[in-house]
Amino acid sequence: MTLTPKRPIWALSSWLFALALMAPVAVMIWSASSANHDTFLHLWQTVLPDYIINTLLLGGYVVLLVICFGVISAALVTRTNVYGRKMLRWLLLLPLAMPAYVIAYIYTDLFDYAGPVQRFLRDIFAWQSPQDYWFFDIRSLFGAALMIALVLFPYVYMLVRTAFECQDPQMIRAARSLGLNARQTFFKVSLPLARPAIAISASLVLMETLADFATVQYFAVNTLTTAIYDTWLEYGELSTANAIASVLLIFVLIVLVSEQRARAKQSHQVNSRQHIEHVYTLTGIEQIAASAFCWGLVVFGFLLPCGILLDMAWRYFDVEQFNTLLSSGLNSLEVSFYVASIASVLALLFVLFRRLSQVKLSALPLKISGLGYAIPGTVLAMAMLATFGPLDHVINDLAVQFGFNAPGLVLSGSAFAIVFALVTRFSAIANGTIASGVEQIPQSLDYAPASLGVGLWQTIRQVHIPLLKSSFVVAWLLVFVEAMKELPAVLVLRPFNFDTLSTHIYQMISDERLEQGAIGAILIVAFGLIPIVILNKKEKNH
Amino acid sequence: MKPILTIKNLSVLLQDKLILQDVELSLAEGDILGLVGPSGCGKTTLLNTIAGFVEQSRGEICIDDIHIGAGSHVPPERRQVGVIFQDYALFPHKTVGQNIAFGIQKLKKSEQDYRVAELLKLLALTELSERFPHQLSGGQQQRVAIARALAVRPKLLLLDEPFSNIDARLRDELMIELRSLLKSFNMSAIFVTHNKDEVFTFADKIALLHQGSIIQTGAPKAVFEQPASWQVADFLQIGSWLKVKSVGNSLFTALGEVNCEQLTDTPDSSIELLIKPKYLKLIEAEANCIVKHITFTEQGYHYILASLDKHCALSFERLSFYSEQLLAVGEKVAIHIIAHQYQIFVRE
Repeated sequence: MTLTPKRPIWALSSWLFALALMAPVAVMIWSASSANHDTFLHLWQTVLPDYIINTLLLGGYVVLLVICFGVISAALVTRTNVYGRKMLRWLLLLPLAMPAYVIAYIYTDLFDYAGPVQRFLRDIFAWQSPQDYWFFDIRSLFGAALMIALVLFPYVYMLVRTAFECQDPQMIRAARSLGLNARQTFFKVSLPLARPAIAISASLVLMETLADFATVQYFAVNTLTTAIYDTWLEYGELSTANAIASVLLIFVLIVLVSEQRARAKQSHQVNSRQHIEHVYTLTGIEQIAASAFCWGLVVFGFLLPCGILLDMAWRYFDVEQFNTLLSSGLNSLEVSFYVASIASVLALLFVLFRRLSQVKLSALPLKISGLGYAIPGTVLAMAMLATFGPLDHVINDLAVQFGFNAPGLVLSGSAFAIVFALVTRFSAIANGTIASGVEQIPQSLDYAPASLGVGLWQTIRQVHIPLLKSSFVVAWLLVFVEAMKELPAVLVLRPFNFDTLSTHIYQMISDERLEQGAIGAILIVAFGLIPIVILNKKEKNH
Repeated sequence: MKPILTIKNLSVLLQDKLILQDVELSLAEGDILGLVGPSGCGKTTLLNTIAGFVEQSRGEICIDDIHIGAGSHVPPERRQVGVIFQDYALFPHKTVGQNIAFGIQKLKKSEQDYRVAELLKLLALTELSERFPHQLSGGQQQRVAIARALAVRPKLLLLDEPFSNIDARLRDELMIELRSLLKSFNMSAIFVTHNKDEVFTFADKIALLHQGSIIQTGAPKAVFEQPASWQVADFLQIGSWLKVKSVGNSLFTALGEVNCEQLTDTPDSSIELLIKPKYLKLIEAEANCIVKHITFTEQGYHYILASLDKHCALSFERLSFYSEQLLAVGEKVAIHIIAHQYQIFVRE
């Protein structure tokens, strides 16, 4: 059925915006493919294999760790009487608000040779030098993986917990009545049923890991993202950076496909509104181990670093620092405001186009515009430079020809490129939120106004927009927060002397003086808590 | 009476599938038409095509003086066709009063208020005008939907399974109420249902849709008495089917010989005799049937009978028969066909 057979403007604008969001990536791939083959060969013969191996190892470790953290904690919280179960249920989400590079800094401070933990151990056991004992080296590839996993495991925890909670209790009862005990039922029924959720969340984590820049950079682990950054900002080689970005994009694509496949499988899952009430009672020793595991994740993923940050902020408060923080904070607010507003309005356009026109392929603009979430910020930044750099030259040449002063890098050298990159990266969040909002509206409400003689624009204005108001606000807020937190894209694209909250903190971390930027880090964490609160609230309403 | 709706030669293609094929239909002003057919036959598509939500591929639709051809689509908002959706489609963020006024916002405020007040009163909704849809019962929601559709004074009202969400106990009452309301407005209406009893209570006219085509229209009683084809009789469950074998001028069934003038050239294997339960009776003779199942109904016991002889070409498994007399499952009985105007159909 269709309500908009003759609305070319709508179709045109949907397609145009969706394709425009992805165009820079295409330009980047194209310019990388036309790059000098010698450069690429040289890269391949020197550093590229190492970068690729490091990237793969990092991804592999992180996925193993998050599955271990996330699945076990989800199982314990949903199926056992682990201590503090009700609180853990939402506390386990909090690490999501903590940027990995911040805890990397904090734990390096804490566990390094000169840090308080090793000092304490040396004092107690009278060790003299590093030769006397073995201690976990945090500044390593595995250390980086552990830091990333500690803050990303909540993705797995959240999706798998939901999968466990939505499983049909009848299925569990059926298994029990067929002679399986609680443990067997879990491993033979519940866990296999949660497989799609595990696969989806693990691929999401993998995408975030591939996108991570600051943690690996801080630990001096060379991955593809740091390579892009270094090649461009240190050596100024744009086409080489583009080439590396394209290689990274291939990995992302593989992960993206596996994620989409897992999602397709998820539709087989039966979602039940009934909740499983039966809980496995842990024995004494089991209870201790289970509680230590879950609470350990909460403490090391959130509470401890948060406490340390607060302590730093309290002890190292400094008015001058506070002023720079304020100005970078204002920049962050401004950029995030534009990103959130543009992404949400575009999402509304794409979602309503798909919903109301139902022409073949009308869902494509929504899909295309949502692909950006998989693309690492560094890659997007390169895409912006590859596209808007040449465009700026054209603009300048034209301006000079027409007798104006050359305006400079108006697109690639201003906040425009940052906003564009972030809209591309976070459109998926706005799309998803508004799309799920529109699914709550029964299809008949699209048709009812027409049967009452009311036209399409009026219908959208009076029915869809009012009904989507809360989804729109949530979408705006979620994108706003993500834009606040995003680091690598901004780091590459920011104009001279332009800092946002996240680049400011990154700078502080690079200079080994996060103590003075602790308030900024706390702010980032506080903003990061907003989506978690929203998620929790949404869930309660269901 | 002048026709309010005329459909000629209408075909609809959706996703390269022919959903409606050469539909012919007309409706006189003030008449209520029940559109019935098995699920998937295209009932809802026909309704959506009349309303303008689906574009026709061929043929024409005339709604009063509005002419819609395959190339000249008229958008739904300009057809003056009201729709009562199956889920009522009330706007959840608007009150009852605002819902009813939704389609008449272009009118003067005083006129809007007048119409809303009139409809609220007529449908006994005055007390509820400030409530939101989720605060209403199913029946109240339906009345709001009707008031909202009537407010724009449509020429034709389409109702998609209007009684499917209503409690069985209230359904009859509601049908009678709604029918007299529509009659008082002289409102022409088409409603979709898969329940034949609703047609008999609610409609002046019935149209049977089968695989995208209308296979019979007429007054419910006439259609019931003279079904035009095997599908019509089968869908309306007018009676049971008996296989036949012709020998000369006579027809043989598993229950004996019947005299039928309406013989055809079609081979015996594809024709069946329609037997309404009222033409069957129990007799004292050699048993020819066995009782398979008993249902207690208000009209007495309803029996499903099977022929005793299982291996003959004419044997049957489901013969419907009503009786006041109590029989036992497995009991063998003799059934006789009362002579009447026999109806034979070609099974397709």
